[in-house]
Amino acid sequence: MIVTCDQLEMLLPEFFDGALTAEQEAAAADHLATCTDCRTVVSELEDVTSLSHTHGRLQLPDDAKARIREALGLDEA
Amino acid sequence: MTITAPTAVPSVAMDDSLPATKPAASVASLFDQFADGVYTLGFRILGDRHLAEDVVQETFIKVMRSLDTYRGDGPIAAWLYRIGYREAIAATRKRRETPLDPDEMLEAGDRPVTSVEEAVLAAELTQRLDAAIARLAEPLRSAFVLRDIEQLSTAEVARALDVSESAVKMRLARARQALRIELKEYLA
Repeated sequence: MIVTCDQLEMLLPEFFDGALTAEQEAAAADHLATCTDCRTVVSELEDVTSLSHTHGRLQLPDDAKARIREALGLDEA
Repeated sequence: MTITAPTAVPSVAMDDSLPATKPAASVASLFDQFADGVYTLGFRILGDRHLAEDVVQETFIKVMRSLDTYRGDGPIAAWLYRIGYREAIAATRKRRETPLDPDEMLEAGDRPVTSVEEAVLAAELTQRLDAAIARLAEPLRSAFVLRDIEQLSTAEVARALDVSESAVKMRLARARQALRIELKEYLA
């Protein structure tokens, strides 16, 4: 199985989910080994997901957390 | 204590509709595990930290009322985020008409604690990331937040948003591509 750049792009959701079939995975690896452009795209998309998890998550402020816990009666259990 | 949240939600402790036998300990555990995530989802959808706090409170009120009816037929994260997502979307209808501006709305305490050096180095990137996420169209943004920030599985995101997995994949692909372009100078 051989994939083009466009076909690889279609496979990226499953690629990032680790859900490619063995045949698709081998074809993607073969393509990435020879295509600098796709290698760059995949690397940058991996960075997007990594940076987003690291820097995109927020914490409920402590005062709000305490207020909501009290409203819910969670500290009375 | 009287709740001072803008949407004037009554204290659950004063709400007669809640049986005293609700599994508060389980709700407390879920709150500890998911409050930050629901807050993140609420803020990313609404762009307002106070409304996002209301989303957290409303979500866990509903969790408390309906936990007994949760049948365990799917991941509890998806069930809980589905409630949170619906609350956030409902809140968008009540939101005052102001443009999203994460720089104004976020405060330092909203983020996980890092070293001073890390905080300084990350500040610019974080600012750009916040702005880029805020610019995503909402169907893309919620899928992106749940999958890439909260790290639910694609199947869990589909359950939470009540859409097909293929729809989630399409939204994720578009969101990631948009952020790749916006953040290009920070990527390898």
